[in-house]
Amino acid sequence: MTRIDQIMQQDHVRLDALLDISARAVREGRWQDAARHLEQFRHGIADGHMVVEETTLFPAFEAREGGTEHPLTALLRKGHQDLRVFFQEMAEAISAEDAEEFADLLSTVQTILKQHDAKEETELYPYLAEALPDHGQAVGQEILTFAAGERA
Amino acid sequence: MSEYRGCELPEDLFYDLDYVWVRPEEDGILTIGVTDPAQTMSGRLQKARIRKLGTHLEAGRHVATLESGKWAGGVPVPCAGEIVARNEALLDNPHLINVDPYGDAWIARVKPDDPRHALDNVKTGPDAIEALSAWIDRYDVQCMRCSD
Ligand SMILES: [Fe+2]
Ligand SMILES: [Fe+2]
Repeated sequence: MTRIDQIMQQDHVRLDALLDISARAVREGRWQDAARHLEQFRHGIADGHMVVEETTLFPAFEAREGGTEHPLTALLRKGHQDLRVFFQEMAEAISAEDAEEFADLLSTVQTILKQHDAKEETELYPYLAEALPDHGQAVGQEILTFAAGERA
Repeated sequence: MSEYRGCELPEDLFYDLDYVWVRPEEDGILTIGVTDPAQTMSGRLQKARIRKLGTHLEAGRHVATLESGKWAGGVPVPCAGEIVARNEALLDNPHLINVDPYGDAWIARVKPDDPRHALDNVKTGPDAIEALSAWIDRYDVQCMRCSD
């Protein structure tokens, strides 16, 4: 049995690797590859990972810990909102073949993700792994199915 | 000047109720910066990047990105427009934002595409101050001035 905290942490690693592949393509001037890999990363994180967090994990935490104004989930939701804008800006930098702009955005996004993911991995996921009836395995399955669908 | 938990909140500015303040100038240009509670939450800033002069931005896009050792984030514009000035001093000395967020550390000036709707997404007055006070509570921010 795999607990929700392990599943989500592994998904962070998987997504970081996708972003790295896109960044390498930018550095090597392979703009079409860069665009394709960035879109793969964006889809995985924004349409999969974040959606599961926003629709299932955050509400499960908020239901047990004092509602939607909780500072932790407020900060994490705001982080997702900012990141979505940055993903769009990274895609635009690739379209414009602007490596310098992309590198600036990448550095910011990686810093945001590092802090964001660390917060989730220390404050959110372990809490849910204890609080959810099946250690969150059922929810985790959503992520695994989504990731598997991308590889298919 | 309103103050809440040590954080300065000038009443004459407009706010996106998150990180950003906006001051409409007489010529219709918007001066943009980050608030005192936002710079406090971010910690000592070590890097500031501002988009190039002449860049056109849609509403919500980032005119600048800021990084401290522990935090990074973007500074979104409240309306679509073109960057007509940027504060070059911040590029060498981003820490200025921690020192004088409403004065010397303005970030950029943007010329709105549609001046009539430039301030539709920002708030001012007592309601804005109240919402920002709630923001300060939510993130448990306590501002301190070095000069106090
Ligand atoms: Fe997240
Ligand atoms: Fe996450």
